[in-house]
Amino acid sequence: MSEYILELKGITKIFPGVKALNNVQFQLKKGEVHALMGENGAGKSTFIKVITGVHKAEEGEMFLNGEKVDFKGPKDAQAAGIAAVYQHPTSYPDLSVAENIFMGHEIKKNGIMQWKQMNEEADKLLAQLDADFKSTAEMGTLSVAQQQMVEIAKALSTNARIIILDEPTAALTNNESEKLYRIVDKLREEEVSIIFISHRFEDMYRLATRVTVFRDSQYIGTYDVDGITNADLIKAMVGREIKDLFPKPEVQIGAELLKIEGLSRTGFYKGVSFSVHAGEIVGLTGLVGAGRTEVVESVCGITRAKEGKVFLEGKEIHVKKPADAMNLGIILLPEDRQRTGLILNWGLGRNVTLPTMGKYARMGFTDDKKERGVAKDLLESVDTKAVTIFDPASSLSGGNQQKVVVAKALGQKMKVVIMDEPTKGVDVGAKAEIYQIMGDLAKQGYGIILISSEMPEILGMSDRVVVMCNGKVTGELKRGEATQEKILELAMEKSKREEEGR
Amino acid sequence: MAGKSGRTIAHVPEKSVKKTLLCWESMLVVLFIFINIFGQGISPNYQASNVLREMPRYLAEMFLMLPMAYLLVLGEIDISVGATVCLSATMACMVCNTGAPFIVVILTALAVGTACGLLNGIILTKFTELPPMIVTLGTQIMFRGIAEITLGSGGSVSLQNTEGFRAISGRVGGLIPYVFFVLLIFAVIFTVVLAKTTFGRSMYAIGTNRQAAYYSGVPVQKYRLIVYTVMGTMAGLCALFLTAYLYGANTTTGNGFEMDAIAMAVFGGIASTGGKGRLIGGIISGFVIICLRVALGLINMNPQLILIILGILLILAVMLPNVSAQIGQMRKKAMKK
Repeated sequence: MSEYILELKGITKIFPGVKALNNVQFQLKKGEVHALMGENGAGKSTFIKVITGVHKAEEGEMFLNGEKVDFKGPKDAQAAGIAAVYQHPTSYPDLSVAENIFMGHEIKKNGIMQWKQMNEEADKLLAQLDADFKSTAEMGTLSVAQQQMVEIAKALSTNARIIILDEPTAALTNNESEKLYRIVDKLREEEVSIIFISHRFEDMYRLATRVTVFRDSQYIGTYDVDGITNADLIKAMVGREIKDLFPKPEVQIGAELLKIEGLSRTGFYKGVSFSVHAGEIVGLTGLVGAGRTEVVESVCGITRAKEGKVFLEGKEIHVKKPADAMNLGIILLPEDRQRTGLILNWGLGRNVTLPTMGKYARMGFTDDKKERGVAKDLLESVDTKAVTIFDPASSLSGGNQQKVVVAKALGQKMKVVIMDEPTKGVDVGAKAEIYQIMGDLAKQGYGIILISSEMPEILGMSDRVVVMCNGKVTGELKRGEATQEKILELAMEKSKREEEGR
Repeated sequence: MAGKSGRTIAHVPEKSVKKTLLCWESMLVVLFIFINIFGQGISPNYQASNVLREMPRYLAEMFLMLPMAYLLVLGEIDISVGATVCLSATMACMVCNTGAPFIVVILTALAVGTACGLLNGIILTKFTELPPMIVTLGTQIMFRGIAEITLGSGGSVSLQNTEGFRAISGRVGGLIPYVFFVLLIFAVIFTVVLAKTTFGRSMYAIGTNRQAAYYSGVPVQKYRLIVYTVMGTMAGLCALFLTAYLYGANTTTGNGFEMDAIAMAVFGGIASTGGKGRLIGGIISGFVIICLRVALGLINMNPQLILIILGILLILAVMLPNVSAQIGQMRKKAMKK
């Protein structure tokens, strides 16, 4: 019998116009956690879909326990004990946890659903994963982390021996990630083999024993995690060296631009106060759900605060809708590029000039020619990897989509730019470029609020760190005094205290 | 600041004659010519003068198609417009029969239509989660109910004084009806606004991704309210010209007009999913449908049969882009092999 539970050789997958995978190979040992890394667009997702039978490779062979297999569809892969858990769980929010777990392979007796048995089985699986919810809970009421747990339980319920986790920690807080790590550890003890895709190095170091790197649809190499340095790994992924991941420029901090005073919105955040100065990058951090996004959404008029005041350059402002905020010089670059940041099937140029087309228009008539010129300049200024401004936004990688979102903000004279998780799902090469742009903006005198859950990013880029917890600001740290431990302490302070109080 | 890599991005649009000739609107023009040849083939009476005489009733429907196309671009729909036409026409006839001056009659029709559209707009912009299809189904039933109460037990009203309406149903040179010119003016305005203004671009943005448009500062709810209200006003206009043709109103006035308007727009390449299509397509397709109806009417074809043919055509039209895309892919695959 083969040493490997899963082995792929010479896999080539062609999509119309592109080779998504070019002669790649992969080997997975039994009971191993194997990280799969690479930039966005390197072919990881396509590769996973080949393993799970969603895509059929044009060339190459796949061996399961040493035997050649040929999956006709996802059902075959499932029957062979392969299951995938995706970053955004694809669940049925209105159904119960048990219903989600057994979707597609319900326990039936004479064609009748055995709900009691399914609920019991589901509870057993959840207990195995140390879940803090019941099988009868409604899926939609769970957090992303809990939903992922359900997905893992679902994989286990099909007796999966190989589980693929596709960027499972991207949407999780540090605490939740830690819990996921423990689940993975447990699965490993039970000799389940795991393929782990992630952009986070912490994930890899914490979990994986080996790591395989893809770049530009090709196999670069497989390394022992213990024997490879961060720099080598980045080089393997990007194909070049990145000297300074956080190019934070020295900027003279100017006058106060935006000041938030005692802002409250019932059920979301309470008594939030902080300020941003010209040329300053303020990191706004905290656990997911701390209310960071909600605060800035109110500042930008997407929702309304119930109490509190917002000042811009010393004058109180009343923003009722995003257009008001933009006219005043405050823009929010939202977290969800695909849903709120961009119109994906529009060309890049149209996307970039959407907030400002009124500026170039005469009597309401758009000036397409001028817009095209402006869009070209803006997209070039953030160094977007695109051929023409007519390319649809959906054709770009996550990092380049983020650059287009930034370019949208640059089309008008802004004072305060709020970036909500600007590097979420962005690969390491493009991340450095986005930080570079952020630094450039600060140099030009913009006030920047950076919302992020990624500790290195907050520490690396912020002049000042504002930490939120459960809708309240729990502390402010200067650049010199901020450390990972201090931030975490503040981020969890309130919840701890409340737990003790209970 | 210049890009660090010195990469340049092209920004001059490619103009391709082939693409222009192959677009859906060009197909519709070909179809329009074909229908006219076909019409002359099946009926010796299919001549300009006859077609123009039959046209006004259908042209009135085209007034609905224009704002309906806007709503479809927004990703919305209004199925209450047929009922709005009925209510506007009824009120206009009632006011006319009191002996009021004709300008008051015109204003009544437009005001009633606008009010109906405004009501839809207010409900849908105040409660943004509600589905337009259901809300306008509700108002449709409501508007028809009001019209029927107003019409009373007879269920119809006839004009006692047709002078004003006869004036607007006149013809230039005894041939081309005034309504044709009025429609032409509105068609040009609606087309230009959709294609060339920030308002038009915003509508496409809202229809493609309402959230992203809102975050980019597009006044989503204001624009929705405007379009629903304009839809109502145009229904009032439709009611006026329809009354000029029918000399009265009854409980079935405007029945199914909303569906005709939607069909014309969709047949013209304006996707019901929002964010796609050009108004010029809707206008040409409107004329294609009108000419086909007139031609089939001239050979005394059963009206129900005409409906079946139109239904089949509509389904074929929405299927065509899918089919052609599939053929394109198959061809690409074949070329690779």
